Amino acid sequence: MARVIDLHLHSEASDDSRAPVEAYLKWLARKRDERPLDGIVLTEHRQFDTRSDYRALEDKYGMLILKASEVETEYGHVLVYGVNDAMLQRFDFSNVRLRAQELIDEVTRMGGVAMPCHPGRPTIGLIEHYENRPPLEGVVGVEALNGGSKKGENERVAELIDTYGYHAFGGSDAHLVSFVGICATEFEKDITNTEELVEALRTGGYRPVDFRVRRAPAQPASSRT
Amino acid sequence: MKTLYFEEVEEGDELPPIDLLLTKDFVRTYAKTAGMDFPRFTDDEGARQEGLPGMIAPGVLSMGLLARLIGEWNQAAQITRIGTTFRSPVLPDCHIHLLGFVTQKDAEQHTAECDIWMENDDGERWVIGTATVLLPTRNS
Repeated sequence: MARVIDLHLHSEASDDSRAPVEAYLKWLARKRDERPLDGIVLTEHRQFDTRSDYRALEDKYGMLILKASEVETEYGHVLVYGVNDAMLQRFDFSNVRLRAQELIDEVTRMGGVAMPCHPGRPTIGLIEHYENRPPLEGVVGVEALNGGSKKGENERVAELIDTYGYHAFGGSDAHLVSFVGICATEFEKDITNTEELVEALRTGGYRPVDFRVRRAPAQPASSRT
Repeated sequence: MKTLYFEEVEEGDELPPIDLLLTKDFVRTYAKTAGMDFPRFTDDEGARQEGLPGMIAPGVLSMGLLARLIGEWNQAAQITRIGTTFRSPVLPDCHIHLLGFVTQKDAEQHTAECDIWMENDDGERWVIGTATVLLPTRNS
């Protein structure tokens, strides 16, 4: 059962991460006081990992481990939860020019949910594309808190949510082991599997949570020293 | 700087942070010394003409600074691999912070895997990466 879940992170299965899944789990166990997570969702870039079986790691670390995908569309990047064979036959997840509206409609029809991530980010975020294109239909929620965002990006999302009434969730977008769980999503109900996750994401009853700890930097020295 | 043996390094260890004022003069000097005397690394106006917000630090400079983070943590650590992702241009004349952790150890290879990154005062991570380091052992 899980209430606090990091809904967005990348393991070594993604081309831009070297983080093993077990290293993430060990780090979360070590940082339990700072980042009280119950689960993670692996959202590998442009693919869905059909092979890996994480049940042994779930038992060993007492964490829910689910799998999803981060795909690329003309409206920016989108997280797809509840990926199944029908979706994988319908879409080539490696295609970086997927049609967002078609993806959202079809994923919903096939039992999943497609949710834009880091919408405040230039080029690959939803907000910039809403300036030039009509809003997407069927979007139920967006990643309001992304652990990799720069100053101002997450703040821009608040206005988007106000305008369109989207649900808000959070994820670390970790590519490094030590970043896992810095942002996450807290659910009102326990999540035990992908089906329950999809149902919860569709209906609401969750909020982003921020576990980042800001360090107080020392007085900087000159780069010459 | 000190020497840390494999047996003394633990997963979760923090690399002592380095806080720097990265000056334009330093970046210019580096670029010219490294044979990278291009406007984007030496001149604000020239960089703007290339579509950049101003002069930026060369990527290899950022990698070098992150290697320094490891060297100052453990002078005996031999970097066998370093990889970085440049998430944002590194704009000089600002404070930067070099940070890292030991995330994994390999007892057979006597290596450690480190997360390393550069961030600004707002916590924006401009460069992120990992490094594998070979460590001396007490028995070697």
